[in-house]
Amino acid sequence: MSVIEVQGLTKTYANKQALQDVTFSVAGGTCFGLLGPNGAGKSTTMKILTGIIDGDGGTAKVLGLDAKRERGQIQRKVGYVPQEITLYDKLSAYDNLLFFGELYDVKGKELKARIATVLEQVGLTDRAKDAVQTFSGGMKRRINIAAALLHQPQVLILDEPTVGIDPQSRNHIFNMIRQLKEQGVTVIYSTHYMEEVEALCDDLAIIDNGRVVVQGSLQELLDKYVQQAIFVQAEEWAELPAFTHVKAVHQEQRGHIVETDNLLETMQSITQTALQQGVNIRELEIVRPSLETVFLTLTGTSLRD
Amino acid sequence: MKTIIRKEVQLLLKEKGTFFWLFLLPILFIVMFASIFGNIGGKDIAIQYFDQDKTQASEQFLNTIKSIKGFELKADADLTLDEQLQKIKDGKQSSLLVIPKGFEDALKSGSAKADLDLYHDATADQEVAPIQAVLQNIATNYREGKLNSTLKALGKTEAEVQQILTPPVNINDIKENASKLDMVSQVVPGYTVMFVFFIMISMVRSFIKEKESGMLARLRCTPLKPLSYLIGEWISFILIALIQCTVLLAFGHFVYDLHLGDVFAVALIVLSLAICGTGIGLALSVWVQSENQGIAFTQIFTMGGAIVGGLWFPFDLLPDAVQIVGRFTPQYWAQHGLQDVMIRNAHLADVWPTLLILLGFGALGLALAVTRFKKFMLTAHN
Repeated sequence: MSVIEVQGLTKTYANKQALQDVTFSVAGGTCFGLLGPNGAGKSTTMKILTGIIDGDGGTAKVLGLDAKRERGQIQRKVGYVPQEITLYDKLSAYDNLLFFGELYDVKGKELKARIATVLEQVGLTDRAKDAVQTFSGGMKRRINIAAALLHQPQVLILDEPTVGIDPQSRNHIFNMIRQLKEQGVTVIYSTHYMEEVEALCDDLAIIDNGRVVVQGSLQELLDKYVQQAIFVQAEEWAELPAFTHVKAVHQEQRGHIVETDNLLETMQSITQTALQQGVNIRELEIVRPSLETVFLTLTGTSLRD
Repeated sequence: MKTIIRKEVQLLLKEKGTFFWLFLLPILFIVMFASIFGNIGGKDIAIQYFDQDKTQASEQFLNTIKSIKGFELKADADLTLDEQLQKIKDGKQSSLLVIPKGFEDALKSGSAKADLDLYHDATADQEVAPIQAVLQNIATNYREGKLNSTLKALGKTEAEVQQILTPPVNINDIKENASKLDMVSQVVPGYTVMFVFFIMISMVRSFIKEKESGMLARLRCTPLKPLSYLIGEWISFILIALIQCTVLLAFGHFVYDLHLGDVFAVALIVLSLAICGTGIGLALSVWVQSENQGIAFTQIFTMGGAIVGGLWFPFDLLPDAVQIVGRFTPQYWAQHGLQDVMIRNAHLADVWPTLLILLGFGALGLALAVTRFKKFMLTAHN
């Protein structure tokens, strides 16, 4: 069952069309990745879902509630982690969490217990009383996320939560998201790092220039848009001989990429030919399919451009 | 709302700049100006003299001056008369009283006039005026003494002499104010009122920072109602302004013996002043485009209002045109109300126009802020 339904969403800022007919849906209890380069429309989509701004056209429903008209109810059920670190630097981590918890009407003993829980989740229990200004960037981002978890949201929306952080904090965040997903929380995760989507997300939508280019599960997209390939490097083969099931061959700096519709048989064909010709193969491996390739195939540009 | 108030007060108290702008700087101003102006009234006026006569009569004359409170005699024995007169010409000395040779003889003769020469710098009329007045007074006493002797010589009794010498007109100096007006009563409430309005800088800074950091956008996705946020911020700054006024007035009271008068009336004026200053600050915070713009407006409003509102100088000393403008400022009304209570022993019933006007300014500020707040929030989506 879909927890989030976005249909034909449009939004224009001054003269710039930020969203054009954006449509996607998110199944409950999954982690949904919104992948795209900076300025693609990811943050705008998230802000419409959380009621921070209104869309110009189309509809956005969260837990069956209209983001425009039933904003108040959505806000109590959704946790939002903005791209910016929105904490009070001079206050302690505990005081920041106390502030956000009270805004969500969590009070008294329940709030204290929730603060203890989320601090443990983000691995900062021992730094609770320290001013946020003494924290590293990664620690601030972890508290930034913790502040969105105090009211136990059913949906957690994270807008590029790992920008500029250390590997330790990144791992903390990833583990926390996995735990939340196990607890049944639906997570929407926006990023321009395809590795993060591959590591965390069940489903994703690729968004570019305000449009959803494609949506589906990671495997579906890879199967559909990435041709299976083998990388082969052999000094004697300036040009490759013919192998079975080959669709195309691309020359790379160090060797060749051989696209095939049958990995095993093509690989067998390569090894047999090499043995027959006495060719010394230095590298022979299956090319790992990536979202980068999907993005390149669909948009004609690299995600990192 | 309680959450917003606690957060803002916590942040303000952790901000070192708050203490400097709202407490330390006004106290420094009060100390500085109270020290400069507070001593003017208590300092003796020096009369430089040169006694050429050096007789019993000239000595008696000088002793008469010496006995008058507020004046002290000074003589420079190392310099000649010409050298001292040159100092006046050079602007290094404002006046010199010279008792010429023959002063005693002229007094004793009864027929000749005993002259005293007061040389002074033409540009120092104000400084010399009190010396001229005291010399004139002594001369009048000498004349009365001479008349007294003459009348008695003519066979008049003491009672008849007193009756003749009694002036036909007597001016009674009656002070209507219960407490004295001194510079402390001008400086302490003046700088308290002035610096309350500096809280507008802290308000602008807080609102703009919340907007630009993305905090306001984040708060929009919480169940917090926009008006609760606005009022919560307002109340927190009102509390800070109240603490500020209490500290400054208590400082004036305990350090400079400032007479507070009806404390309840002062408290209500301070509350109205805090509502007024922060109300205007609230409007400014949501209308300005940037922190620098807010600081510029605050300085114009605070400094301009301080000058025309009579916070720096007694309002009555200001030119008529400035007084007319000043009456449209909240600073004038706050200072006027505080001085009414502190100097003229006014009570709540006497200062209600001040309270209404200050609260009116505060309400106007709130209304302007509410009108603009929705747009302010919409521009805070980052």
